[in-house]
Amino acid sequence: MATVTFDGATRIYPGTERPAVDKLNLHIEDGEFLVLVGPSGCGKSTSLRMLAGLEDVNEGRILIGDRDVTDVQPKDRDIAMVFQNYALYPHMSVADNMGFALKIAGTPKAEIRQRVEEAAKILDLSEYLDRKPKALSGGQRQRVAMGRAIVRQPQVFLMDEPLSNLDAKLRVQTRTQIAGLQRRLGVTTVYVTHDQTEALTMGDRIAVLKDGLLQQVGTPRDMYDTPANVFVAGFIGSPAMNIGTFPVADGAANFGKAHVNLPRDVIANIRPEDQGQITLGFRPESLDIVSAGTQDSFPVVVEIVEELGSDAFVYGSLTQDMAGTRLSSGAGEAQIIVRVDPRRVPAKGETIWVRVREGEQHQFHAASGERFDI
Amino acid sequence: MTATSATIVESSGQRWSRRLSQPFVYLVALMVVGIAVAPVTYVMIGGFRSNLQITENPAALPDPWIFSNYTEVLTSGRFWGQAWTSTVVAVGTTAGVVILGVMAAFVIARYEFRGRQAMYSLFTAGLLFPLTIAVLPLTIMLRDLGMFGNVLGLIIPQVAFALPITVIILVPFLRSVPAELEDAASIDGASKVGFFWRILLPLSGPGLVTVGVLAFVGSWNAYLLPLFVLQAGGAKPEGYTLPLGVAQFSTQYSANTAGILAFTSLAMIPALIFFLAMQNRIVSGLQGAVKG
Repeated sequence: MATVTFDGATRIYPGTERPAVDKLNLHIEDGEFLVLVGPSGCGKSTSLRMLAGLEDVNEGRILIGDRDVTDVQPKDRDIAMVFQNYALYPHMSVADNMGFALKIAGTPKAEIRQRVEEAAKILDLSEYLDRKPKALSGGQRQRVAMGRAIVRQPQVFLMDEPLSNLDAKLRVQTRTQIAGLQRRLGVTTVYVTHDQTEALTMGDRIAVLKDGLLQQVGTPRDMYDTPANVFVAGFIGSPAMNIGTFPVADGAANFGKAHVNLPRDVIANIRPEDQGQITLGFRPESLDIVSAGTQDSFPVVVEIVEELGSDAFVYGSLTQDMAGTRLSSGAGEAQIIVRVDPRRVPAKGETIWVRVREGEQHQFHAASGERFDI
Repeated sequence: MTATSATIVESSGQRWSRRLSQPFVYLVALMVVGIAVAPVTYVMIGGFRSNLQITENPAALPDPWIFSNYTEVLTSGRFWGQAWTSTVVAVGTTAGVVILGVMAAFVIARYEFRGRQAMYSLFTAGLLFPLTIAVLPLTIMLRDLGMFGNVLGLIIPQVAFALPITVIILVPFLRSVPAELEDAASIDGASKVGFFWRILLPLSGPGLVTVGVLAFVGSWNAYLLPLFVLQAGGAKPEGYTLPLGVAQFSTQYSANTAGILAFTSLAMIPALIFFLAMQNRIVSGLQGAVKG
């Protein structure tokens, strides 16, 4: 058991100017499940591979426990990794795959067998121990990859998108299994994914990266309720947050005829470079449907209704008289997402009036995209 | 050669809708097989005839069947000596080609270093270098090295000439083993060499078989190099390889057509059997490596 610390760790690939991972500072507690999440190319996998010792660290240090492992060989770091494609050795049986590391380390055969069988029992693989990976289903292969990590009883588990090759249903199942297994074993885990749902559901804490820079670290709740900047706000949450930039006047952000009242502290903190503008974000569930013409409401033309059973989401666009307002969401430019009562969904083409619920907006600096520090 | 052409026709035939194409496929297959097999059969059957029969009617079945041509060859020490030499040379060449080839291919396929591409190109260029040009300087060099007329003097150049095709086949093969396997092995504690032995070699079995068979058959059928190294080098006829032996036999007993046919048939049988036994694995080897 150990903590993991990235201390200003930087990776610059040869031949590139911009670091793939830029001065990453991150401390992971003993037994914690930390999820690294971000869009592709954000440096999350590189960070993990730096921790694994598969990538060089150009600057800074990486510590496992109190030990500086920056220049230590992967095999001596006491880690185990689960790969996206599982990386099972095709010519070895399941048991041999799982015991390979122990065999190389010179562990006695009887002990290898015993540890492999224990791990197989946990993962429900006992009857497949003599099979080759080729004869297993995707989910079983995934479990073998997990088993290979467990058998080693390492200090840290590293997982690089281990679920992305599974079908949607199995992914959800395995997601809870992995999270449960990790809690049970209590091994510090660093988990990489591009899927923010996986991040929210599995992680004790989440670290969001973009362009090699750490954007925010926090619990899933923190990330959802107080995103540190516009990027995190747009990235965490499904469907995504509606985000727009509006002029500020009379203590409120104005778009069309609608006003969103802003706290006094926010008004006072608007910086000169924001040029009298503010970026507001509001989640689909922070919008209330109101009757036409209600004060501070604005009209939305329904384009698509997504019904999920427990929820329904309206994907709509702003009407003509709101033209010039820049508003976007995860669904695209000039689109707005509203959560509606799944029992009373509006029809396509209908116009609904919505209002931002008082105090549920997120405020960001228009220039830097940072959250107002209030 | 017979075997491969037949398989190719059959396997592409399988992809067609079965019922419609089956007779057509067999027809084409039979034609191709016929073209390839007819001369071989002629040679083999001819060995069962007497010279008189052959002179009277060159294309006929043996009447009566005569076995003496074959038994004479099989009881002669020369044939067995030559078969032994051929075996030693072919096995030596195959071993050398596979061992050196896989090592060279491993370095080119899985190490990042300057001049890697240039080295690969150099091997490719080796394909374009004709043996005919090399053979005279080579004999001089072998004489200086004291390997002229010697089996070793034959094996080493053959290995060298078989390396380009070996490396060219093996590099993509080794490259196609996913990088994640190498990462996993290194986390599991295998060194680069450990990865080579424990993961890469077992996975490249089909590729190794392919290059091995190509090298073996190539060596078994080689004529020019043995001619210059063994015959010109003054080796005894028993120390010749079989193709050389066939040539020598046919000049020596040019009147004994049936004997020549029998000798030729017997000389090609081992390579033929070897190729037939391995042909499935050659095809699978050429199709590429295991996907992780």
